[in-house]
Amino acid sequence: MSDSTWRNPLYLWDVEGAEEAIPANPHRDPQEVWTKTRQSKTPMLPVGRLRYYYKWPGHGGALWSRLRYWPTRRRVLEIRGEYNPKTLRREKTIVDKRPIWWALGLFAFMLGPLVMPGAYQNTLLAAGATFSIYAAINLCWMLILGTAGIYSLASYAVVGAAAFGVSWLSINLGLPWWLLPFAGAVIGLVFGVIIAIPAIRLDGFYYALLTIGLNELCRVYTLQSKQFGSSTGGLYGADTYIPQDWSSFDQSLLAYYACFVVLLLALALYRIVDGRRLGRILKMAPEKREAFAEATGVDYRRARVWVFVISSVGLGFIGGFYAAHYRGVSFSIFGFDTVLLGLAMLVIGGIGRAEGAVVGTAIVIFLDKVMISTGPLRLVLIGAIMLGVVLFLKGGLFGVKAQFRSWRDKKKSERRSMRSEKGGEMLPEEATETKNKDLLYWRRYDKMQRDFLKTLVTQEIIEEHRKQPLGQHSEPLERLLLYFRRAPQGDKYAITVVEPFKAYRIVAMSGQRGVAPRIVEDKIYASQNEAYHGVFMRRIQDLLES
Amino acid sequence: MAQIKIFGYADKISIKPGETIDIHVSADGVAEADAKLVRLIHGDAHPDGPGFIEEEVPCEADGPWAVRKQYTQVGSFLEVADPEGRLALEGAITLFAFVYVGLPEAGLRQCILSRWDNVRDLGYALGINQRGHFEFWTGQGDEVDYVQAEPPILAQHWYFVAATYDPVTKRGTIHQESVANRYNSLLGRVCPIDYRSHVAETFRFTPRHLPDTPFLMAGSRDFHETRGHFVSETFCGKIDRPGVYGRALSWDELAEIKSGKPPAPDGLVAYWDTAAGYTDRGIGDDVIDVGPYRLNARGFNRPVRAQTGWNWSGRNDCFRLAPEEYGGVEFHYDAVIESHWRKTRSVRLPDTLRSGCYAIRLRAGPGVGLAEEYVVFFVRPKTPKGKVALLFPTASYLAYANEHLSFDAEIIQPMTGQPPIVSEVDIEMYKNWEFGLSTYDCWADGAGVCYSSYRRPILNMRPKHRMSSMGVTWAFPADLSILAWLEHKNYDYDVLTDEDLHLEGVDAVKPYACVLTGTHPEYFSERMLDATEDYIAGGGRFIYMGGNGLYWNVAFRDDEPWTMEVRKLDSGMRAWAARPGEHYLATTGQKSGLWKNLGRPPQKTVGVGFIGEGFETSRPYRRMPDSYHRTVSWMMNGIEGEIIGDFGLAYGGAAGLELDRYDLRYGTPPHARIIASSGGHSDNYMLSIEEILYPYPGLAGSQDYRLRADLVYFTAPNDGAVFSTGSIAFGQALPANGFDNNISRLLGNLVDAFIKPGALPGSYWVNEEKQWK
Repeated sequence: MSDSTWRNPLYLWDVEGAEEAIPANPHRDPQEVWTKTRQSKTPMLPVGRLRYYYKWPGHGGALWSRLRYWPTRRRVLEIRGEYNPKTLRREKTIVDKRPIWWALGLFAFMLGPLVMPGAYQNTLLAAGATFSIYAAINLCWMLILGTAGIYSLASYAVVGAAAFGVSWLSINLGLPWWLLPFAGAVIGLVFGVIIAIPAIRLDGFYYALLTIGLNELCRVYTLQSKQFGSSTGGLYGADTYIPQDWSSFDQSLLAYYACFVVLLLALALYRIVDGRRLGRILKMAPEKREAFAEATGVDYRRARVWVFVISSVGLGFIGGFYAAHYRGVSFSIFGFDTVLLGLAMLVIGGIGRAEGAVVGTAIVIFLDKVMISTGPLRLVLIGAIMLGVVLFLKGGLFGVKAQFRSWRDKKKSERRSMRSEKGGEMLPEEATETKNKDLLYWRRYDKMQRDFLKTLVTQEIIEEHRKQPLGQHSEPLERLLLYFRRAPQGDKYAITVVEPFKAYRIVAMSGQRGVAPRIVEDKIYASQNEAYHGVFMRRIQDLLES
Repeated sequence: MAQIKIFGYADKISIKPGETIDIHVSADGVAEADAKLVRLIHGDAHPDGPGFIEEEVPCEADGPWAVRKQYTQVGSFLEVADPEGRLALEGAITLFAFVYVGLPEAGLRQCILSRWDNVRDLGYALGINQRGHFEFWTGQGDEVDYVQAEPPILAQHWYFVAATYDPVTKRGTIHQESVANRYNSLLGRVCPIDYRSHVAETFRFTPRHLPDTPFLMAGSRDFHETRGHFVSETFCGKIDRPGVYGRALSWDELAEIKSGKPPAPDGLVAYWDTAAGYTDRGIGDDVIDVGPYRLNARGFNRPVRAQTGWNWSGRNDCFRLAPEEYGGVEFHYDAVIESHWRKTRSVRLPDTLRSGCYAIRLRAGPGVGLAEEYVVFFVRPKTPKGKVALLFPTASYLAYANEHLSFDAEIIQPMTGQPPIVSEVDIEMYKNWEFGLSTYDCWADGAGVCYSSYRRPILNMRPKHRMSSMGVTWAFPADLSILAWLEHKNYDYDVLTDEDLHLEGVDAVKPYACVLTGTHPEYFSERMLDATEDYIAGGGRFIYMGGNGLYWNVAFRDDEPWTMEVRKLDSGMRAWAARPGEHYLATTGQKSGLWKNLGRPPQKTVGVGFIGEGFETSRPYRRMPDSYHRTVSWMMNGIEGEIIGDFGLAYGGAAGLELDRYDLRYGTPPHARIIASSGGHSDNYMLSIEEILYPYPGLAGSQDYRLRADLVYFTAPNDGAVFSTGSIAFGQALPANGFDNNISRLLGNLVDAFIKPGALPGSYWVNEEKQWK
């Protein structure tokens, strides 16, 4: 016998299965790993971000009276009170800053006419009014497209139908301007209900085709209908809210603010439909998960149709206002280019968000109406922007933040996985994300342990365990076993009984109360000892692979 | 079809023939189960022993039983008796309490004070929201209004929390401030933490109420169509001295209450003085309202009383010294003490039934695994007849009832030296909170479980069950090996339980010439210990058949003996440690912990006491030189050689699992003799913690001589005697080789001698020794 022998201290006690001496590993010093390891294998880069902005402290002992949007329970700003994990200072974070941006943006739009340069005043006021109307239309459309998830391209057809309808009514029956939006709403309702019916059965692409056809039908119909002014290029002469005796600047200014009010109404409609019960129901049934939502009792079809009909009423209302604003309506509203331009607005801004609809509209209108001097090039520019958005952005301009963050996270995990050693020392950037700093040391200790224990795995050890899984073992085997046994509960191996004393199987614990262990292999072991050894072999394999 | 599962429990654990016992059963996937009364004889199915043995006994209850699914209320809470609906405030409201939150980050809504209906959204509640902030909410049916405090709650910290609602201004407020002192909370003054928050919001409506919603502390009313009303949104943590006003208090007024002054009577509807009604002999489940209407609250699932309150100063360590500092009532949202199932059937036991261990065997569908249940109980004789009594350690069964060690305890594999072997039944228990926990587990917030009762299905108090972490039988099924041995040897024996010993004292055992314990009688109340001591002192002959016995001090209420309380303290082999100041039993006012630390080490009563444990191998005993003395050598009649018990169903040896040893320092009687001792234990056997003042290398089996089981014998007054085995595995060695073995012979010699009246064998060989040899 050489130095690689282990003498069982219990041999003299005549313990069952105890051999006097068995071949074992030469002695290895567990401190060797610690002596050798002088530094991390990976460079430890400095981390930490400078607080370059001010963050509100908590209210402390003072009373914080929070404001709500009357008559809802929604607070004006969603603010999270928290403790800064690095300092324990009380801080307030505005979780959702959008209300601030909305308020600032709308306020700026309201004050816009005051700062418009004189030369462009008329152009800008007209563009502003057009923007508001289109933004309002797009908001309603967004409800259909984003909230309800119905691929309808007939929104402008509804607006146009309402506009033509009320213009005809106004011209022929002398309807006053203030009745036009409401008459439009009624037309919108009828139209909406009619187009909603196929939406129950048709999906996606087919429905889009149908609605384009409808749009085209309206265009061709009005184009050829004398009643709807086939000769004049549209139906004009409806009553208008703009007093004709005002100066043209005053008229433009009134139109600007009147359209702004319509925009505000559309925003309110969007908020009420999207943010309350209907919208929430639909958010539980996103595309491709409808079946699951339905199985849990969400009646998403009914909700979709409701949203569609409500939006159509809104579109009809806007159509009525449109007629009262422009004193009529032209065929171009049914034009395919109008639909495409509208779609460009939505896509650039980002589907499914109010801010997407409004800012997308602003960009396209600015290019289309304000930069009119650039000629057809501007349309190419719009096309290019749209192409860029579709190619590079997932959720339009307003999806950039989320897209950027997920891209950053992707890069982060790529870099971390390239830099860090698997199961090794934590990187400084991981350490900052770990609440319990004790785990940082545990990772180091565990790594050292494993580096040492890997050197102990030999055929002799495995054979020793196979012969006697329970009881006194040689020092290296005992070290291995103690390490395995002390592992955290999550994914820790155990054995389950298939048939008592006859069949066992290896499972892994969940480490989570109430969650049953999972089966890790199909193999059946005929005795407890074989199962113990099976667990040991899996653990050895996991150790060597780590 | 759902998998068939059947579980049950009996309302009593000890019963006499001719009496009636109520069986409570819940079944999944089946409406009928086949019931049969059986006498259990052997519970270990190990192939080296006789296997599982039961005997069917005719009974009026045999046959098909109608069974159905029953639900269990999970979570402890207090329910206020308020028949006049005084707490159904539909005007101004103020709620206040001192609160210590166990698990703010549970991600679940937890109610502290509520008169709230979860289904209909009616009423009001002060609680914790999913984000872990204190929140006050009110409902009018279709709408709910909320106001939440600003910062998240920090766990294990005492806060004063209050909420008000004023119907005139429609303002709802929530207030929180810290009431931590140097002792009572987790974090100290060195942390730069601002705990204060006062938030107000304008509510949209005044709350409305359902007439029958109960006012609850630590929960709220819920409803399920097959289950009916139950309580959900239960809470983890402590509540101290809560109250309700029918007007909206200003913060200045609330600050007075926060400072510890009694609440002003103006507008007070209820004020529960959680520290009122404490007696020197323990605390009940009632929380007293000292307000004008006496709306007392009653605990469900045993909220833990006698806990330190918000004003605990650290000077007093017991509620008896300063009840006003012990107003904390502790709740756990996963607490289950009793199942409270409806009775499935009353069973009248036959008058002629012999004493023994019985079960109602229920089978449905396949009749194996989860589809088979044994509802176990013990039948003692109408009048004691036998000479021998086998004392089943039911207190220990309660302590281990439904233990989760294999699943939850990271320490269990290093402790037992093996991977656990879990069965289908163990996994079923783990998956469902409804089975409750043992005193070896912690509740979700990490606090140790101090109550356990048998009025719930105990899946490890069944025949055939094997303790998953150790791969052997443990407690009840192991104790049946002793019963099988008595049966095999045709002794005239009766069966008793710890409950009988606790309730009747020494009278329960007095009629017997010889009493045998189970393999692991670890949990002893003071009355049980007194009775054991008195029995021995009065001339009884006592065979302590186990290891790590007479260890923990536990308590039972006289009127609810089915629930046991234990507090695990600073020493001893313990699964958890009670918080500072919470070391006394709420049930009796006694200090819990080890009997050794209370001045009564087990050595003082039975000659041996706990020294260490290990779980992967067992060892035989070898005769000690003292066993050749004629006062004791009679025990060895018919035994050849020095080695005894090198076999057994627990790791193949009679000395194993948990070991006790002789120790004069702890009161082993000076004339006690060591008959035999085990040795050669593996290093998995480690010295018990209370023996270690400083740990140093070498405190394990192969290097410390103290790790051993001693067979100890001594005589007691009035011809009494004690024989101790000092090992849990001893009983499991009895059935080896068809009960024909030297452990069986040794025990047979002892029992034969012990049941003979008069002087014990060898009692005259007591002269001074004058050896030539």
